[in-house]
Amino acid sequence: MPDCSENYENEISEGHNVRSIKCKFCNSIILKPSVASFTTVQFQLPLMKQTGGTNHPETEELSLFWMVTDMLMFENVGFSNTVGNNKYLTCADCEAGPIGYYDLSSKKSYVALSRVKHC
Amino acid sequence: MAKTYDYLFKLLLIGDSGVGKTCVLFRFSEDAFNTTFISTIGIDFKIRTIDLDGKKIKLQIWDTAGQERFRTITTAYYRGAMGIMLVYDITNEKSFENIKNWIRNIEENASSDVEKMLLGNKCELEEKRQVSKERGEQLAVEYGIKFIETSAKASIRVEEAFFTLARDIKAKMEKKLVSHVYNDCF
Ligand SMILES: Nc1nc2c(ncn2[C@@H]2O[C@H](COP(=O)(O)OP(=O)(O)O)[C@@H](O)[C@H]2O)c(=O)[nH]1
Ligand SMILES: [Mg+2]
Repeated sequence: MPDCSENYENEISEGHNVRSIKCKFCNSIILKPSVASFTTVQFQLPLMKQTGGTNHPETEELSLFWMVTDMLMFENVGFSNTVGNNKYLTCADCEAGPIGYYDLSSKKSYVALSRVKHC
Repeated sequence: MAKTYDYLFKLLLIGDSGVGKTCVLFRFSEDAFNTTFISTIGIDFKIRTIDLDGKKIKLQIWDTAGQERFRTITTAYYRGAMGIMLVYDITNEKSFENIKNWIRNIEENASSDVEKMLLGNKCELEEKRQVSKERGEQLAVEYGIKFIETSAKASIRVEEAFFTLARDIKAKMEKKLVSHVYNDCF
């Protein structure tokens, strides 16, 4: 298998993740193959590296996510304290994040494809 | 989707502020990623998956988010907890003395059969030690719980501690299961 790629098309098979989803920084396993579903939603996710204060975090609009219906499907993950209707997801080991968000009302978790690696 | 694990254990970290509970929650690495955004909001809980004697165990580990400073840890926080890591700092006598108060708090608020374990953290700071290992062991014997000295900073025995607690909870659950089956049959 090739190294971790950014070519997302090859990462999706029948709507699920082909390979493991890992932390970009420390390789901690976040999701095992085929447990997450590919989905597109618009979400303003705060940047991992902020330059200013956190009162008005800088965000970027992301739309490609791995959706996880039950939080116990994660291998390793951190949930932040609640902000509005969301919790932010982080790597359980090095706490890099946000790698995605959790929606309190639907209880679904969304991991941004661009914030993790697939290998 | 089929269940991807055999057991789910809810664990809590309890102890004075500053003993290292939050650090024990993650593998402390030099290159730990420091995002001001996440550290400002704070981590509520983590999910970790471990393999224990062929069983897949999900650990849901809750940190106190600083409520310990105000001693406002209440029944709600303890609800459903199956294991509690009681943490003190071996370089801080007061944090060790307070373990007794934390145990009282647990007895008043948590389920009586919650599995407990005592951690003496920061054990790599030998030159600053205020609490001897013997005193830790003695206190653990007094309460009939296990004891281990750890260092979140030097990654000493932290994983072992979580595995030990998880193994004890699993053994307790399986014992309960067996006695239920036994009672049903006879
Ligand atoms: N030397 C040393 N410092 C530690 C260790 N664990 C945590 N710390 C430090 O102790 C301080 C408090 O840690 P923290 O995890 O926030 O404690 P909490 O208040 O119990 O959550 C921080 O400065 C940590 O870097 C350890 O094992 N050794
Ligand atoms: Mg803390």
